[in-house]
Amino acid sequence: MSQTERTIEIFLNDKPIRVTVGHHQTLIEVLQAQGLTGARESCAQGLCGCCTLKVNETLVSGCLFLAVLADGQRVQTIEANEQALDEVQQAFIECGAFQCGYCTPGFIMMVRALLDENPDPSDEDIGHYLSGNLCRCATYPEIIKAVQRAASVRRVPS
Amino acid sequence: MKAFEWEQPRDWGEAISMLDPRDLTVRVMAGGTALMLMMKSGVFQPTRLISLQGLGQEAGAIVQEAQGGIRIGALCSLTALGQSSAVATTAPVIIRTLKTLSNVRVRNVATLGGHLAHADPHMDLPPVMMALGATVKTVGARSSRTLTMSELYRGYYETALEPDELICEIVIPSQVGRSAVYLKCSTRAADDWPTLGVAVNVKCDGDVIEKARIVVSAATEKPIELVAAQTLLEGHSISPSRLNDCAELALAQAPLVSDARGTASYKKELLRVYLKRAIQIALKGTIS
Repeated sequence: MSQTERTIEIFLNDKPIRVTVGHHQTLIEVLQAQGLTGARESCAQGLCGCCTLKVNETLVSGCLFLAVLADGQRVQTIEANEQALDEVQQAFIECGAFQCGYCTPGFIMMVRALLDENPDPSDEDIGHYLSGNLCRCATYPEIIKAVQRAASVRRVPS
Repeated sequence: MKAFEWEQPRDWGEAISMLDPRDLTVRVMAGGTALMLMMKSGVFQPTRLISLQGLGQEAGAIVQEAQGGIRIGALCSLTALGQSSAVATTAPVIIRTLKTLSNVRVRNVATLGGHLAHADPHMDLPPVMMALGATVKTVGARSSRTLTMSELYRGYYETALEPDELICEIVIPSQVGRSAVYLKCSTRAADDWPTLGVAVNVKCDGDVIEKARIVVSAATEKPIELVAAQTLLEGHSISPSRLNDCAELALAQAPLVSDARGTASYKKELLRVYLKRAIQIALKGTIS
């Protein structure tokens, strides 16, 4: 193995994987090569949120995060728990909070974290937290409604 | 991006020993958010990166000092900085500034030390730290030293740091009796770099301004303290005419530059408005 690559271990959506990565490769490149295409590089500058991932408990832009830094860490993508829709995904569908859907995985990842931190956000809190996520179909009003709906569903004990 | 080697030292000494002062393609990376943009655009092509992520939690710790100041480890993430009660009590201007500094994901990863060392004049915390009278502590191959923010910044993306010297800690003195404000103006997209940044910090005795610090950034090649303008305020209470005189002196003193975000003459008009606004807001609130 050359000095410009190494084998890393990631707990990817709770499954351990070993993968050899170039030091210069971003986490998003490595995940795409693994067939996980929910997070995708769009602006490539950390501005748009399409590549949002969770590394341990921290949301990151996968396009600005070197894969070697994920060695030994837990990485979660939108593909985690794919068998059932959660309240955030359900609310996005019910509110029509997307058109083309390209940005949606990033928004879902962000909204889950927002509601973990702040179970009862104001519209302003939502806009502020999601200011680093762009929806080129401009479904922002529907996204804010969806976040409020998901928040109210989460607050009702099941 | 092109291939490079990768090191993950365990302490500051090891990190510095891995640097090569004769080879500027060997660099440290803290959070990496700013450096990654430079690497992706081909502006910077490292042969070896030295990650500071293995230095441990202490390298990013926030410590409240008995005298009222705070010490912040250089590897403190901007999110941790924004959630710190010590920072909120000592210098709430930092918390307010962080709300509109980039976005959640970038703040989660970016570090205060990296933010200050990057020396992009459009960044928000360099002018704030300068107005607060903060200093940085460095570790280097030959010696360690303390620099004021004015000493740290030399020019456009240029600092006084040696090639084998790193910022390890940021020290903010007690702000009791002071009130600080940072305002910025973005003329293109809301999430673009600012066209102008203005930071003001005042200490008052009743109506009289005892100490004033005025810093301009983004419209200049580096954050700059406008000494003549702040001296004009000291020892006086504010009146509309003194506020005007202060702003005019600031305009005369600030080396504003024209760029894609506006001409120098346009930025002059922005500075006139934003400086007066910042001083007026600062005079309304003092930290007890």
